[in-house]
Amino acid sequence: MLLHVSENKEVAKGIWEMHLSGDFPFENVQPGQFIHILIGSGREHVLRRPISIAAIEAEKETLVIVFRVVGEGTDWLAKRVEGDVLDVLGPLGTGFPLTTKQKILIVGGGIGVPPLYELIKRLWQQGNEIYCLLGFRNSDDVFWVEKFKEYGTVTTYTDDGSFGEKGLVTQRIAEDFLEKNWSNVYACGPVPMLKELKGIVANFSVEGYFSLEERMACGVGACYGCVCNNQRVCVEGPVFPMREVVL
Amino acid sequence: MQVDFAGIKLKNPVMPASGCFGYGKEYAKYYDLSELGAIIVKATTVSPRLGNPTPRVAEVCAGMLNSIGLANPGVDQVVKKELPWLRQFELPIIVNVAGDTVEDYCFVTEKLCQSGLVDAIELNVSCPNVEQGGMAFGVDAGVLAELTTAVKKVCSVPLIVKLSPNVSDIVQIAQAAEAAGADALSLINTLVGMKIDLMSRKPILARGVGGLSGPAIKSVAVRMVYQVYKAVKIPILGVGGITTGLDAIEFIMAGATAVSVGTANFTDPYACPRIIKEIKAYMEKEGIKDLSEIRGCAHVLS
Repeated sequence: MLLHVSENKEVAKGIWEMHLSGDFPFENVQPGQFIHILIGSGREHVLRRPISIAAIEAEKETLVIVFRVVGEGTDWLAKRVEGDVLDVLGPLGTGFPLTTKQKILIVGGGIGVPPLYELIKRLWQQGNEIYCLLGFRNSDDVFWVEKFKEYGTVTTYTDDGSFGEKGLVTQRIAEDFLEKNWSNVYACGPVPMLKELKGIVANFSVEGYFSLEERMACGVGACYGCVCNNQRVCVEGPVFPMREVVL
Repeated sequence: MQVDFAGIKLKNPVMPASGCFGYGKEYAKYYDLSELGAIIVKATTVSPRLGNPTPRVAEVCAGMLNSIGLANPGVDQVVKKELPWLRQFELPIIVNVAGDTVEDYCFVTEKLCQSGLVDAIELNVSCPNVEQGGMAFGVDAGVLAELTTAVKKVCSVPLIVKLSPNVSDIVQIAQAAEAAGADALSLINTLVGMKIDLMSRKPILARGVGGLSGPAIKSVAVRMVYQVYKAVKIPILGVGGITTGLDAIEFIMAGATAVSVGTANFTDPYACPRIIKEIKAYMEKEGIKDLSEIRGCAHVLS
């Protein structure tokens, strides 16, 4: 389907927030699902780019994606301006299952933060108590922290301490767990972060879901390019029950 | 639009290529698979295979590299689950067969033929992404002839041999397959390629190398179809970078009887039905009633 760009702006160094509007099944989106975007005509860039849906603004018939420029495809996306049209497939994949009235821990790292925004919003709407840890490399990379604060208690970390606490998002989870007694954990971020988190929360009784990233081709489950533990990241994922994730 | 391909009646000459279409289920959500000329399903092996470590795919200019490694649930599951489901559609089913040994290929082919659910077998002697078998069978004329002869004995449906472009003389290989009893040839599988990540300074694909596909290889594929068309009598299935109906026409002019579409399905899930429409539009515009009018027309002396 074709969506038009209603806004595209750089929100942190090399990180872009793009608003897409048009005829899209906004009401059916689960947080954590993604769209698969055609780059140019598709002749030079034959593979679409999978980008997670960061926010749905159904009343405005708009969805928001946040992406980091890492190569030619995302560079092309960053150059789109208001009124440009994108060829998009989606929503694709399996998102985060929601829950109600629980004590929730959300952990996001870098460009893994965006899909957690629609998630925190929905979890808040369902009456959950939410504690959120967001990690970035440094203050240049920080985005959307204020938006997350609308829905929960947020602590931010940077590697060098240039914004928020200094260190890793995972560094205090073990001790805080004893006090906060979280029942559910949701996370998206770099593999070392997820690995560390999985190790820590394994000691507690908690239901966890991780969203994974993998190089993808078809995005619809046909090519078996993006597998994790023999599951397709594009269909059975990108969100998997934490216990099934092999990192 | 109808063509006869090695005795199989196709309502049009377009079919998705093996490995690019799973078993059809995913794309059946986008359109009615009965629109297709046929379907070639994923490589099938004796036992289930998980495939290679990730990353398994990488984009390159006008193409992609893959090193999936023949991930599939094994022939028993394919016969029990995948093929019966596909039978609801009105289209010939071609199953790509792979293995490590001659016995593997024969075993899988025999099981598939006995199921009565397949219309043709495509012999995969050109997969560059496995340690054993695969391409090793497709780069030596003698080895290929031996395999083709053995499989032909247990194959009760037309046998298509899918050739590797990673050879010095494609004509010699094609003729060896024909002499050994192949009913048709599929040209070409992927070219072996590599992409290096400048950040990590290492190849992107976990296995280092992968198969290059997409528009980047189309001219190589057209050239090989052209060369082989002159040298064999059996029909050719042209494959390699076909993205539009006009790309398909180019293969037919080089000598292909039918075409298969691979990577383009990833770029555009509607690629196959669109290509069928584009071929039809081209035929109407050029006043072509039957594709045989232009098949091989690029050959000066044909």
